[in-house]
Amino acid sequence: MGAPRPRSPRPAGGAEAAFLPGPPASGATPGYRAPSCTQGGARRAGIMTDVHRRFLQLLMTHGVLEERGVRRLQKHCYRVHGRTAAVEELEDFINNINSVLESLYIEIKKGATEDDGRPVYALVNLATTPVSKMASDFAENELDLFRKALELIIDSETGFASSTNILNLVDQLKGKKMRKKEAEQVLQKFVQNKWLIEKEGEFTLHSRAILEMEQYIRETYPDAVKTCNICHGLLIQGQSCETCGIRMHLPCVAKYFRSAPEPRCPHCNDYWPHEIPEVFNPDKEREAGTSKANKKPSRSRQH
Amino acid sequence: MLQKPRNRGRPNTQAERERDWGRGAAEEAPSTSRGAGGSQEARGTSSQGGRRAEASPEVGPRSQQQLELKVAELVQFLLIKDQKKIPIKRTDILKHVIGDYKDIFPDLLKLAAERLEYVFGYKLVELEPKSNTYILINTLEPVEEDAEVRGDQGTPTTGLLMIVLGLIFMKGNTIKETEVWDFLRRLGVYPTKKHLVFGDPKKLITEEFVRQRYLEYRRIPHTDPVDYEFQWGPRTNLETSKMKVLKFVAKVHNQDPKDWPAQYCEALADEEARARPETGGPTPSS
Repeated sequence: MGAPRPRSPRPAGGAEAAFLPGPPASGATPGYRAPSCTQGGARRAGIMTDVHRRFLQLLMTHGVLEERGVRRLQKHCYRVHGRTAAVEELEDFINNINSVLESLYIEIKKGATEDDGRPVYALVNLATTPVSKMASDFAENELDLFRKALELIIDSETGFASSTNILNLVDQLKGKKMRKKEAEQVLQKFVQNKWLIEKEGEFTLHSRAILEMEQYIRETYPDAVKTCNICHGLLIQGQSCETCGIRMHLPCVAKYFRSAPEPRCPHCNDYWPHEIPEVFNPDKEREAGTSKANKKPSRSRQH
Repeated sequence: MLQKPRNRGRPNTQAERERDWGRGAAEEAPSTSRGAGGSQEARGTSSQGGRRAEASPEVGPRSQQQLELKVAELVQFLLIKDQKKIPIKRTDILKHVIGDYKDIFPDLLKLAAERLEYVFGYKLVELEPKSNTYILINTLEPVEEDAEVRGDQGTPTTGLLMIVLGLIFMKGNTIKETEVWDFLRRLGVYPTKKHLVFGDPKKLITEEFVRQRYLEYRRIPHTDPVDYEFQWGPRTNLETSKMKVLKFVAKVHNQDPKDWPAQYCEALADEEARARPETGGPTPSS
């Protein structure tokens, strides 16, 4: 019998969250894909109750949701269904739902934003079919524009593609002819729908796109794709060693070099020349209010 | 392994990628042969080199995994389509998802319906008997606080819809368009004026709500000037009820439903009819 489909080309022991370093706990972490025999026979799937269903329904209205929002959503669902008893630990709650979603080839996947390491969640499709959320919201030429932007982003050194460069490809788009003015609006639509992030006229991938498309990206651009030396996840933005070229996500850098007196490259041991960002601290954030008080400068041109 | 290395530089592979991605292509089976763990059955049936595994109909029995994948695809398709609130046509399902699995379409649909209800709490129902179009009904009652944790705006237009539904019911299940606007004008909603919340109210009521099958909009013959009439659409009967709408109207007037005896009786009769065992259901009419 065919082995169960691995959800990504990464080795099974790969990080559960997209960028969090460190070895995963066995099987209990969100997104961890246990390579066990879950086909056919005795499948230890969780039980769905209305609490879980409401959670899923409402989660689906978000393309991607920060952990803080996810916890709030979870509490809301418990409250609505009158279950004021102890709310299940989020990780277990999500694992339970994921075990049921497994047979539908979807999953609540946990990742982190590349710039400041906030944990985020998205409901992602694991079987790369043409029936995808993005494909249903956009026209053929719009999807092609996204694909062009995606290619530029992946090929770039910084993980950003300039608006100009993207718009220059407008003539090559499939489908209905698109003018540059229109393309600008489409790019804004991508930003609004959380597929792209814009900073100072340049575009990079939103964590939503990274979570949903990681597999697709790895398969389609196996040579151009960059990965993080620490968590082995897909890397779009990050820092790189100027000597040996290995790359790391900013949050991975933050965790790896936390309280290290002299940061050195994990690969070639050369001095790490970049500014070490702070580890994301949700509590600190709550004190400071909604704005990102300890936000680092907008984008690290640290390549 | 039938897969060619997916080098972006190779034009034919790239062309495949471009072709596959973003198209609502029908027969393409989801990628199962990824890495070392690909399903052997799927690999065996792929005819074009480098192309993703395809669920081929020539190979008689399909693997459990292929079936599972098809159901998964169908569930996704239904969820995504329903988000737009447009009824899902059977022909679209066959074209974009089922493809070569046409022979077992009823089974696939039944399985998908079961999963939709168990996992998401959505019931797949046929809009009208023999219509071959489907919608999803939420088995969970929406709650006011849901709005605070949603990622989208929900439907701010629901208020307007409820008002129109109420009007139609209270007026004996059919109402002229002119009467609708006479009423809505009093609420500051005009057919020709842009509204802060509803945008274009005329388009919303005469097109959007009709397309979503909440309302029926028919021209009244032999009227001059031309006039139209509204009635409840099939989706309304599935998603709500006369009693619910009456209660809404009563609440708005700060009165009791029983204050409208005729409508109350009608609503009661409707409740009784609903309580009788269902004859319809999610099973597709073959």
